[in-house]
Amino acid sequence: MAESARFKWDRASRGYDFATRSDAWRYGVAKRRLFTTMRGRCLMLAAGTGHDFRFFPPDLRITAIDISGGMLAQATRPAGNHRGRLDLAQMDAQSLAFVDARFDTIASVCTFCSVPDPVRGLRELRRVLAPGGRLLAFEHVRSRLGPIAVMQDLMTPLSRRVGPDLNRDTLGNLARAGFRVLREENVYLDVVKAIEAIPD
Amino acid sequence: MTRLLTLAEYGAGASIALATAIPIHALVHPGWDLVLAMLLGSAIGMALHMLLGFPLGALIGMFQVMLPGSLIGMYGGMLFAMRDAMQPASWTQTTVVAIVFGVLVVAGVQLYDRALRTDAGGAGS
Repeated sequence: MAESARFKWDRASRGYDFATRSDAWRYGVAKRRLFTTMRGRCLMLAAGTGHDFRFFPPDLRITAIDISGGMLAQATRPAGNHRGRLDLAQMDAQSLAFVDARFDTIASVCTFCSVPDPVRGLRELRRVLAPGGRLLAFEHVRSRLGPIAVMQDLMTPLSRRVGPDLNRDTLGNLARAGFRVLREENVYLDVVKAIEAIPD
Repeated sequence: MTRLLTLAEYGAGASIALATAIPIHALVHPGWDLVLAMLLGSAIGMALHMLLGFPLGALIGMFQVMLPGSLIGMYGGMLFAMRDAMQPASWTQTTVVAIVFGVLVVAGVQLYDRALRTDAGGAGS
């Protein structure tokens, strides 16, 4: 499963910046606001091509991981531009190679729409998050509005072939993985959300 | 930039509606079975919104184009096909109604977005 995800995102890495360029303008302010509270030892999931590194506060030590080597190859330059230390590593979010309670903050951008088993991935995050640590997640989720949710359900079999699922219940998955949501902000409709969560 | 993107969302909605209405108008004629016409219209709308939505979404905003676009494609496709199966419509009528429908759906989605865009509070509410 991880192998197919790696292959998919390696392939997607070629056009990823083009496909998400307008999202960077749209969501930059909300992402910067969400990541303001990053502190201590930080982990970033699904680093992608690194275009979200610019929204991180300076002077942080961050480990950024991604399942795709193709994505990470493009993330090298943005990582070098971070005003702090930012290390890149290729890793599957479902089986993190870190000891328990290793990080004080975990940041994710559009990650749990793609992780094949999101609850397993979130449980891994809970494991590596130190007591008192926070998960800051910028995610798109399934709408609670019927007509929009139906369209997300219909589009997901296609979107899944080239990128993310559009209908994940990430808030429910957070609860299932043992997180408590402290803050939930609607960034676009009730689909794109900024979420702050702690281990329950 | 925000205003420009908002205008572009209306443009994208109108374009998807037009791209849906035109082939339906060419295919569906009065006397068609209403159910088949609506199913065909919906399928055409869904397919065309996917085709147009991806490039437009990259330029304007993936969700801001794809979500209203999917509503326009599916429900607009049904309505356009129903109209074309029930009455003769001119190309001008087809074009104007499609643009109006696309713009109205985008306006509705933008209004709903504005109503929702607040800090939704805690505890998985």
